[in-house]
This record gives sequence, C-alpha cells and structure tokens, in this order.
Amino acid sequence: MISRVTSQTMTATALRNLQSGLGDLARLQAQATSQRRFAAPSEDPAGASNTLGIHAAQRRNEQYTRNIDDGLAWLTTVDSAITASTGLLGRARDLTVQGANSGALDATAREAIAVELEAIRTELMAQANTTLLGRSVFAGTSEGPAFAADYSFGGVAGSSVQRRVSDGETVRVDANGAEVFGDGATSVFALLDSIVADLRSDVNVGPRLAEIDDRLNSMLGVQGAVGARQNQVMRAKEAALDASVALESQRAAVEDIDTVEVLVQLQAQQLVYQSALSVTSRVLQPTLLDFLA
Amino acid sequence: MSTFSGLTTASSAIAAARRGMDVVGQNIANQMTTGYTRQRLETSAVGAPSVYGRFATGEQPGNGVSIDGIARLGDAVLDARVRDTLAASGYWTTRASASAAAEAALAEPTEDGIAHQLSEFWAAWQDLANAPDSTAAAAAVITHAETLAGRIGDAYRKISDQWSSAHTTAATTVSQINALASQVADLNGAIRDAAVSGSSPNELVDQRNLLAQNLARLSGATGTVEPDGTLTVRIDGNAIVSGADARAIVVSGPSSLEAGGGLTLTWATDSAMTVDAVGGELGGLLAVLAPAGDGGVLAGVAEDLNALATALAASVNAQHQAGVTTDGTPGGDFFSIAVGGPAALGLGVVPQGRADLAVAAPGGGPLDGANADALSGIGNAAGGPTGLWSDVIARLAVSTAAEAGRASRADSGAIAAVSAQQSVAGVDVDEETVNLLTLQTAYQAAARVLTAVDEALDVLINRTGLVGR
Repeated sequence: MISRVTSQTMTATALRNLQSGLGDLARLQAQATSQRRFAAPSEDPAGASNTLGIHAAQRRNEQYTRNIDDGLAWLTTVDSAITASTGLLGRARDLTVQGANSGALDATAREAIAVELEAIRTELMAQANTTLLGRSVFAGTSEGPAFAADYSFGGVAGSSVQRRVSDGETVRVDANGAEVFGDGATSVFALLDSIVADLRSDVNVGPRLAEIDDRLNSMLGVQGAVGARQNQVMRAKEAALDASVALESQRAAVEDIDTVEVLVQLQAQQLVYQSALSVTSRVLQPTLLDFLA
Repeated sequence: MSTFSGLTTASSAIAAARRGMDVVGQNIANQMTTGYTRQRLETSAVGAPSVYGRFATGEQPGNGVSIDGIARLGDAVLDARVRDTLAASGYWTTRASASAAAEAALAEPTEDGIAHQLSEFWAAWQDLANAPDSTAAAAAVITHAETLAGRIGDAYRKISDQWSSAHTTAATTVSQINALASQVADLNGAIRDAAVSGSSPNELVDQRNLLAQNLARLSGATGTVEPDGTLTVRIDGNAIVSGADARAIVVSGPSSLEAGGGLTLTWATDSAMTVDAVGGELGGLLAVLAPAGDGGVLAGVAEDLNALATALAASVNAQHQAGVTTDGTPGGDFFSIAVGGPAALGLGVVPQGRADLAVAAPGGGPLDGANADALSGIGNAAGGPTGLWSDVIARLAVSTAAEAGRASRADSGAIAAVSAQQSVAGVDVDEETVNLLTLQTAYQAAARVLTAVDEALDVLINRTGLVGR
C-alpha cells in the first residue's frame, strides 16, 4: 500500500462515499416522485431542447383542435341553413308549378299561392341571415347581416372566413351568400317577389321555373362544396388527434421516467446505501485501545 | 568515564521517553484539529567522549540519548498540490453554480418559463382569428402579451440580481483575500522569529498552511517555502505575501449588469498594475461577471433576453403593421421598447383593446382574421422568437452541463489531493497508541537502568571497605 491509512482518512472516505450514495438516492427519489427524467435542462441538454419544441407543437396542435371544432360549427350551420333553403325553394317551385296552371286557378287561389310564396321569401331571408355566436354565416368577414331589407348582399367581395386546421392548411368555413342566394335584383328573394307580382297580375309564371331551377342548382353546388370542406375538416380533426397522441408519446419518451427502471435502480441504490452504512459502522468503531488489556 | 555517567544516561532516557509521551499526547489531543500535522520526537544517540592519553580507559559506551527536536511530518509538495487543486475547484465550482442558478432563474422547461408563455401568446392570436369580433379574445391576446413581456422582464431582473449578488461576493472575497494575506504575513514573521529563537514553529506552520490553502481556494495563489521558513504567496506572478509583508488587491468596475463592462483587479499600491491571471473563487466570480463578449454567463443570458425582446417586438410589430383594425385603420406597433435601458426590461404592450388590434388583412373585411392568423404563424416561423429562445436554452444547458462536469472533475482532484495530504499528515490513533506503549515501556526500562546503577553504587559506597569493623 502506497498511502498511509489513518482512522481519519477512513472516516473522511466513508463520509464521502455515504454522501455520494445518499446523493444518488436523492436523485433517484426525485425522479421517482416527480416522474420527470430531468429537473434542469443541463441534466439532459438534447432532451430539453426537444422538449421545448414538442411543448410548442403540442400547444399549437391543441389550438388547431379548437379551431377545427369552431370551424365545424360554422360549416354545420352553413350546411343546415342551405339544406333548409333548398327545401323552401323546392316548395316555392311546387307552388310556382301550381300557379302556372293559369287556366285552372281563380284569383283567390293565386292570391293564396302568392301569400305562401311571400312567407317562403321571409323564411328564406331568415335562413340567409342565419347567425352563429352573433355573426352572420353568409356575410363573410363583414359586420352586420348578410342581406339587407333591399336584398343587397353585405359581404366583402373576395374575402372569406378561414380556420387554420394545421401548420400549413387553412379551410374556408363560410359560404358566399351571393353565390347561394344571389344579390339584389338577381337574388332569390327578388325572384320570389316578382313571381308573386306576376301571380297577382295574372301573368303566366311557368317560364320562371327555369330561374328557380338555376338558383336551386347553384345552392346545391355551394352545399356540395361545403360538404367537401366538412370532410376536409373532419380529416384534419383526425390528423390533429393522431398528432396529439404522437406528440404526447414523444414528450413522454423525452421527459418521463421509466417507472419500473427507476424503481429497480432505487431498490439497488437503497441496498448499496444500507450496506455502506453497516460496513461503515463496523469499520469506524474499533481502535487498538479496544484490544489492549 | 565518570562514576555517575550511567545515571546521566538513564536520566536522559527517562527525559526522552517522557518528552515522547508529551508529543503523543499533543498528537492525540489534536487529531480532530483542522490543518494539524502529526509530530514526532527526533532523537539521536549521544556518543562517548573521546579520551586520549594516560587515563584512557579503553572502549566506552555512549552517553545516552539527545532530544534533537520535534519534527512536523508534513510534505511541502503535497501541501502545494492541495493549494493548486483547491484553486481549480474553487474556480470551476463558482462558475458552475452561477450557471446552474441562471438556468434555474429561467425555469425552463416548465409552465413558468418564457417558452410556455410564447406558445400561449401565439395561440391567443388564433383564438382572436376565430372570433375577430370578440372583445374577450382581444383582451386575452393583450393579457398574454403583457404576461410574456413581464416574464421576459422578470427573467432579466433575476439575472441582474444574480449579477449584483456575485458582485458583492467578489468584493467580500477580495477583502477576505487581503485579510488572509496579512495573517499569512504575520505568521511568516512569527515562524522566522521562532526558528531564530529555537522554539518549535510547528503549530504556527500548520496555521499558516491552513490560511494559505484558503487563500489559494479564494484567489488561486501559489506558494513557495523559502529557505528561512517563510512562505511566499504569489498571484499572477507577483507576491501578495513576501516574508512578513503583505500587499492588498482592490476590485473596481461597474456596479450593475446594465452598466456593462467587466471588473478589474489591481494592486492597492499601484492602481495601474492589473492582476490578470487570478484563479480560485475570485477568478470564477470575475469570469461569471465578465461581459458577454468575454464569455460571462450572466451577461450572455441578459444579452439573449434583450435579443429575444427585440426580435419579438420587431417580428410582431412588422406583421401587426401589415394588418388593419376593425374600422380599417392600419395597425400600429404592438410591442413598444422603452428607449434607454435594456430591451428586456422596456418591453411594453401598446394596444389597449379590440379596436387597436390589427386582426384583419387589408381589404379582407372588418371581421377578417387573416392578419391574426399570420401573427400566430410567427410562432412557428423558422428563425422566429420561439426558435431563438429554444436555441438560447439549448446553448445554456450545454454550457451549464459542461461547467458542472468540470467542477465535479476539479472537485475529485481536490479530494484526491487532500486525501494524499491527510494520509501523510493525519493522526492515526492506533499508531499513537503503539508509540505510547513503546515509550511507556522505554520509560520503565530506563527507570530500571537507573535503579540498577543506583544499587550498584550503593554496594560500592555503603558496603565496601568494612572489612574487620
């Protein structure tokens, strides 16, 4: 042995080893109780840098889920408004066909049809001004209702309401009111009004059926587009759900401990510490004085 | 040879054994004393006087034992190694704990960190993009922006406070170093006097070594033992202690992080003469307090926070100005940075409510959310504030981990050196017990020799020449 061993150096060594054993025990205990692999970035610089990125991505994904839910509410509202409108317009078409039998109808019957058509126009107007949380869903980005009392469309040309559903994808969640219902003199409301006027002045409304069919077709066209976008948003929702699972498992892989592994290590370290304590208690006690008579 | 020389021999043996037991007693008494180095009685055999001429009586035994001194069983090389390793350990430990404290102040990656608040801020813009008419969403954006600015400012203040407290510690350390140096100088004088007057300087040397160790840990000073027993202590190649004289050092420089610049260490006697290569805890503190350009960790983090505040304000303001508010007016600044002082502390939020927020893209209609979406997109943009901050954290984490590694290695070095020193200088109870037994036996044997000589002389003096009485 090169170095001289004294009771003091033994005490110091024992103390140091006990201290480092206790330090390991404390570290494992902190891991086991906090369930976190590291408390400070310096304990795992690469992991910490990943963690920041994953946390940011998780927060974004969570936000996209909120955007998607909001977007779906818009699309559903738009879809049901258009469905109701096509139903109303179908009824208006039936009435117009009835009214076109000019020979079979007297003035009273025509007036009854005209009154019902006026009611349908009012209902259509209400559908066209459907709101969601105070915003008119056919009015795009403009404030106020989509259609004014003079049937003019209040939307801003070329603008649309978009929802961001992922880092690189936005989806339009409104429908252009002018495409669905027309604008001003060419609007469905003006059309119904003029049919009503024709009925009252005993003009044949038969030729108007083509105009109603045109309007119906364009409504169905927009509804098809809305349905396609609804599908798109549903797919985005699934993607966001998948991403949230994937991100969470990435985060867990970087940040969380393997509980079983840490528990086994903790047990092993406890054993090491206890044996160190027991050995120290045996080694440090005796001196020569105990054995001198 | 004198008749009574046997008595003298026995008496010198008794005296030596007793002195030896005294030394053992001193060792045992001081086994727990910090810095104590075990001592041993140095003895030598006294030779016989040379007698020539008529009365020479042939071969003579020696004349007993002489006490030459009390040796201090220290090793100057090991002591010097302890000083060197303590200096390195002090330097790296100071740096590592400053880095760890800076890291803790930033509280990443928890919900109290800046990164989390950045994410919340970007997400709040999305909520506003979904509902540009909602005053609640607008208030949420403004509140999150204010929280973010507050958090950046808080982080800066914590770093700045840490700088100030390190600055105070540096000033305290300098006065400790000066006090230690003058104590070492005093002890040098006392040790020289003791050597001249012939008394034992051992305990004084122990004290001085302990002080020199502390001096090395604080300042990285190196020591050389001179032939006259004094210890010359040098910092940066110049003696801070030489013989019984000590010189003082003074620290000067800016008193706050905002003032910028690093601290300078000079000799009190000549303020133009700087002390550059200072190690130990003071060296570590000066490195921590250095400007960012010289690798100072605190100034570096503070600069990063300023850069984050500037980048955040620039990118958000540029996008905010590209949009229009609900009534169509172009957006103004979103963040303001107070002129003068650090950007991190001067970051403020300009808009007061929904009417001031440029949520819409120009021409997009009053309830357009395109610009809010674009503002939210800054959070995900390459080279944006989020990426910048993530880089800062990663860099700090790597450098803190490296500092901690160096500190732990320097610590192991110091522990090994102290162990080596203690293995030579430390008192071992078993060894002292054996010495005590040996000396006790030697004392008994010497007493027996005395008795034997005494009895022999008794026979000669009292019982001889009595024939026929």
